[in-house]
Amino acid sequence: MKQIYTITAFAENRPGVLYRIADLFLRRKVNIESLTVSEIEHTGQSRFTILVHAEPLLVEKLVKQLYRIIEITKVIDSLDQSLIIKEIALIKITAKNLERRREIEQLVHLANGKIAAVNQSYLVVEKTGTEEEIDSLHELLKPFGIKEFVRSGRIVVFK
Amino acid sequence: MPVYDALYDYMDRIIHVLVRHEQGAAHAAEGYGRITGEPGVCLATSGPGATNLVTGIADAMMDSVPIVCITGQVASHLVGSDAFQEADVMGITAPITKWNYQITDANEIPEVFSKAFHIAKTGRPGPVLIDITKDAQFATFDFSYPKEVKMESYQPTTHPHPKQIELAAELLNKAERPYILAGHGVIIAKAEKDLIRLAEKGGIPVAQTLHGVSIFPTAHPLHVGFLGMHGNYGPNILSNKADVVLAVGMRFDDRVTGRLKDYLPDAKIIHIDIDPAELNKNVQVEIPIVADAKNAIQALNKEIKKRSHSAWIKEFQKCYQLEEKKVIQNECDPKKGKIKMGEAIYKLNELTKGEAIIVADVGQHQMMAARYAKFVKPNSFITSGGMGTMGFALPAAMGAKYALLHPPNGQVSDGKASLDREVICITGDGGVQMNIQELATLAQENLPVKIVILNNDFLGMVRQWQELFFKKRYSMTKIKNPDFVTVAKGFYLQAEKVEKREELMGALKRMLKSKGPYLLDIKVEKEQNVFPMIATGASVDEVRLE
Repeated sequence: MKQIYTITAFAENRPGVLYRIADLFLRRKVNIESLTVSEIEHTGQSRFTILVHAEPLLVEKLVKQLYRIIEITKVIDSLDQSLIIKEIALIKITAKNLERRREIEQLVHLANGKIAAVNQSYLVVEKTGTEEEIDSLHELLKPFGIKEFVRSGRIVVFK
Repeated sequence: MPVYDALYDYMDRIIHVLVRHEQGAAHAAEGYGRITGEPGVCLATSGPGATNLVTGIADAMMDSVPIVCITGQVASHLVGSDAFQEADVMGITAPITKWNYQITDANEIPEVFSKAFHIAKTGRPGPVLIDITKDAQFATFDFSYPKEVKMESYQPTTHPHPKQIELAAELLNKAERPYILAGHGVIIAKAEKDLIRLAEKGGIPVAQTLHGVSIFPTAHPLHVGFLGMHGNYGPNILSNKADVVLAVGMRFDDRVTGRLKDYLPDAKIIHIDIDPAELNKNVQVEIPIVADAKNAIQALNKEIKKRSHSAWIKEFQKCYQLEEKKVIQNECDPKKGKIKMGEAIYKLNELTKGEAIIVADVGQHQMMAARYAKFVKPNSFITSGGMGTMGFALPAAMGAKYALLHPPNGQVSDGKASLDREVICITGDGGVQMNIQELATLAQENLPVKIVILNNDFLGMVRQWQELFFKKRYSMTKIKNPDFVTVAKGFYLQAEKVEKREELMGALKRMLKSKGPYLLDIKVEKEQNVFPMIATGASVDEVRLE
């Protein structure tokens, strides 16, 4: 049965590694649901966090094939219960009317989000949390008319 | 240009062969890599030069052959700007190389080259490509070659886990019908003798994959034949009767397994491979062992008990007798009609006594060569297996011959015996035309490669499928061939054509006696099929004998 897997790959920080990783997912016809890459505490190493929706057996094969990439040092596949997961979302909402602004601010406050930017014509809401928390705030804000909604893709640490 | 200018000063130390097409260079490098285990090197210019290497690189990737390709690239400030003769070689070759790297600064050259050779030949070997921008080629710097390669990220596991070996030995010691499937990994690891010892001690029959052909001397009593779509009858059909299968250095390719869900239903499987990604990839195995084949087999040898399985081995012999009666006799010793492909291989073999290195192209003749050539020495059969690249054999045979004549530093040739070993390219009338320009290279180098064309004026394997599965609708498979003898002579090669059975032996003898490169065009029966055959999607126990 298909499940959500987070594949965390550590690699030497060199051009071309992402290309090879992406190609492997292409060959196996697995869609990457989200992807974040950044340099980690030890310099010269990158950490890739790749979210996929796939069969366990296929994930096992993908992990082994990822190891074929020379620059890759470690690959770990995890289910959500073994991870602490966070994602950040930015939501831009048109709000010229003061009353509406207040309503939005209240909702955001209740949902543990914050207002990241504000000017005369719009608000930008910042929400850090799990994917579900972000989804639910997104739903709550929809009636106000969302101009832009962007999310970072998850980053995780292991429990 | 700067690289070639520098080569001018090294002509006495670096052997450079000017091939006529870059694809030929890549396959020739493969031929060299297959024989020596050391990377063959090919050079190509930027743009089209580099893209012409692609088929050869992909072929080396599929068949785990060590090669290092060096390509030129436009100057670094022009990379990405669609400059003249610029191609995204890094992007194009990423999926078909084990590793690739673009050098834009000459100071990177020593480290990157030492890494490239290390990566190409260690672990599971494969192709590596180094792309060097023009400015890096012109720059000068202080050269010092690193003595050893240190890479945190690349450390192939070469020694087996002792517990896994123990479990594997336990299974094999208890087995009633154990069966060894041996592949290319055994040859790469130079573990042939160890495997023979293991099989003899455990009394275990051994079948070889296409790339495993010649691991065992053909006549060895425990060698039961060749696996796969056109392999021997017994090794295929009896796979499904085995109770314990030891697969070494092979990857359960679909040509070997047939329909997966009916493959090895009763067997507990032990799988040894140096590439962890091969374990549980196609077939679920009981005991996966990540290791170099030699280390794993040697470790198993210590644990395995002396056994014999004569009733089980007799089953293979019975199957062989049936195959002999139904297929082999008529193929190798026909009394009438046109020359048959198997017959040509069989007679060639009588003359070479199994000492030759056979380099086969792709198609019916390839399967005939794998089936009917006999071998006495390991690593004597080279072909394009995974990719099935038509046009592979002629350039690969050149590379193989060079490997015998000029073994790499540190590898001592067996003296004259090795230098004199024949390299015979077995090809088809379709395949040979795909890299026929390399006849010019053979002539220029006067390289004594013998070329045998099994010529049926068809793209024979496709025609066979059309006959069997498409109601004989021979769509675009009939070929009007050139006169290969005239073509060869145009390239200043000796050549001969033979059509009659009674002239075949004489023609083969003349070919083997000749000093330089030689082409023999053998006209064979037009609509001959390769049997046995496991149709695509059929199970290994549904082998057709006719």
